[in-house]
Amino acid sequence: MIGKPQWFRRRKYTGWGFTPVTWEGWLYVVIAILPLVLLMGVSPISQTRMIFIITWALVVGFDFVDIMIHLPKDERDLVHEAIAERNALWVILGVLTVGVGYQVASGAVMGITKVDPVIIVAILAGLLTKMISNFYLDRKD
Amino acid sequence: METKIAYFRNKLAMTQEELARKVNVARQTIISLEQNRYNPSLLLAYKITKVLGQKYIEDVFKL
Repeated sequence: MIGKPQWFRRRKYTGWGFTPVTWEGWLYVVIAILPLVLLMGVSPISQTRMIFIITWALVVGFDFVDIMIHLPKDERDLVHEAIAERNALWVILGVLTVGVGYQVASGAVMGITKVDPVIIVAILAGLLTKMISNFYLDRKD
Repeated sequence: METKIAYFRNKLAMTQEELARKVNVARQTIISLEQNRYNPSLLLAYKITKVLGQKYIEDVFKL
């Protein structure tokens, strides 16, 4: 881990992820993002630069996930986060389901079967994640 | 759940921030507990009871 979780707090009202709460956190975000912005902004992008960009993005991505997992949270935060994420998931699932229904219905009118596979994969991935999480949690406690 | 956290905390001249740090939670959690808006876990109730120098959880928390 490069960034320290105590430099950040969970983003509550403006989406997902975390937001810096200390100057170290802001510095970390700038150092993590700036090279990507600078290197992507200059064209043409050589192969070496592309490899560097991808490597840097992977390192930063994994570190962001690690920070997210280890953000300081007490039991009240955990309960609030779980309920908020569940509510968000229900809404996302509802919208995706309506989307599939719309695609099926509009396809049927035109006499074709057409459903965006990305939506189906997203729903199946969510289902799988829920299964694994419950399996793990049932065995853990 | 009713609590006497504020009463015992004031007796010890302890701030909400200090209590929060000692039981490893956010200050907002202490505020919610003192306003009887949040039901803590048994572990947190136990920790708070001990930090406030009380013997039994029932001395601090009441259903």
